[in-house]
Amino acid sequence: MFGLDYSWLADPAYQQWLLTGVVNTLNLAALSSAAAILIGMLGALGLTLRIFWLDALIELFVEVFRNTPPLLQMLFAYFTFSNLGLRVTDPSTGLSVPLLSAFACAAISLSLFGGALATEAFRSGIETMPRSIIDAARSLGYGRWARFWRIEAPIATRICLPGLTNILTNLFKTTSQASVITVPELMYYAGQIYNDTFRTLEVMILVLLIYVVLVSILTFAMARLEAFMAFPGYGRGH
Amino acid sequence: MIAGSMLSYDGKKRAVLLLIAFGVAVWIGVDAAAGGSAHWSRVLARLPLLLTGSASGWPITGGFALNIILSIASMALATVLGTIMGLATLARFGPIRVPSLLLMNFLRNSPWLVLLFATLYFLPFEMHVFGTTIAFPPFVKAVIGLALPTAANFSEVIRGAVQSIHSGQWEAARSLGYGTGQIYRHVIMPQALRRMITGWMNSYALLMIATALATVTGIQDVLTILNTLLAMENERVIVYFYLTILFLFIAYCYPIAVVARRLERAVKGESL
Repeated sequence: MFGLDYSWLADPAYQQWLLTGVVNTLNLAALSSAAAILIGMLGALGLTLRIFWLDALIELFVEVFRNTPPLLQMLFAYFTFSNLGLRVTDPSTGLSVPLLSAFACAAISLSLFGGALATEAFRSGIETMPRSIIDAARSLGYGRWARFWRIEAPIATRICLPGLTNILTNLFKTTSQASVITVPELMYYAGQIYNDTFRTLEVMILVLLIYVVLVSILTFAMARLEAFMAFPGYGRGH
Repeated sequence: MIAGSMLSYDGKKRAVLLLIAFGVAVWIGVDAAAGGSAHWSRVLARLPLLLTGSASGWPITGGFALNIILSIASMALATVLGTIMGLATLARFGPIRVPSLLLMNFLRNSPWLVLLFATLYFLPFEMHVFGTTIAFPPFVKAVIGLALPTAANFSEVIRGAVQSIHSGQWEAARSLGYGTGQIYRHVIMPQALRRMITGWMNSYALLMIATALATVTGIQDVLTILNTLLAMENERVIVYFYLTILFLFIAYCYPIAVVARRLERAVKGESL
């Protein structure tokens, strides 16, 4: 069809590469998403404490990671961490090797990048919480902790969900950039396959479709989660 | 202590940030005194090359200036494409709306890097249309490859802005005898444009950051030049070079983010 040649897909070696690539992409995305959500929660909670120096540090972290290319962050981690002393001696060969693998470097920088975005999303979620709800909880006699755990956290979570969906899809898409620092994920194996077969166009179409399907599944799942958690009569829940 | 109590919360916060900036400056000074100055002078010697792509700083053939030119060209294309796509997704006529929604979601769900690679391989080296030859050098491919996802982002901004205008205004304009085109031109767009500005700026900031990806097309952008330079430098200097490039991006993108946030706050109050 359209003169496209997909006969290489019948080769089990290439099938194996694609499968390994997808698994590694999913691993990298899952790991960095979990870490990013954790960092975002800690960051947003830190901001609610209203300690001025902590506030300044968190703002600095968010702005640095939000205003620099993730690709550059990954390259920085990959090429400089080992120079700055993060090296170990391999006991089997006696050679000094970098402590962090390419995968670890990609996971760390993606976590920090996503964490900065998540901090911002959670912060705005907490800020847009209607004051009247907090006042109502206070007048009902809720203490500081009970108010946070039973009133503020559940509502803020729901307000943040659409923003979080954006961040998670963004992070998933950004994992493809880890191929530049030789992390063997989907995009990396795509390069390997077309270097082998010279079927550049066919490989790129297939990889693009795989990414779109995976990201679509993620957005669909998040939309279902949003619908499931929506309060009746509040936000998008009707 | 007295000075501390006189400062507001934001004032204290700003003081801490200034202190950090001062600390970084001191660290650079101490590091320079402790032998880092040799490294910094290597960076300084290469700075014109990193900024403009030529060793003397002129003419501009690449470097960070090329990233800026690329982002502006891409944004211009993305604004046109995004406006068309955004309005198409709002069309009431199904055969226009459904395909454009599908296209928008496809572009939004695919990674920037993969789209850029795809554009690189989909577009031919040159194209012959009715006897005229249209060439696609790597720079043009990079512009198109980065404009596609940005256009999808921006079309969503337009959609959001148009849909945020109260439906009563449509009804009022209709009852006054305005046609759809007239309503868009005289009623909806003047208001929606104001709400689009921050979304447009955010799209631009995202695009500027993504121009770092253009290094895969082989154009002489700041990352390509950095990689070429690092091949000639020793391992210690690499850190200094990376810090410099990171700082360039922050220096360019952070002011845009600040202005966008200020505008957002200014537009927030108005509704209906």
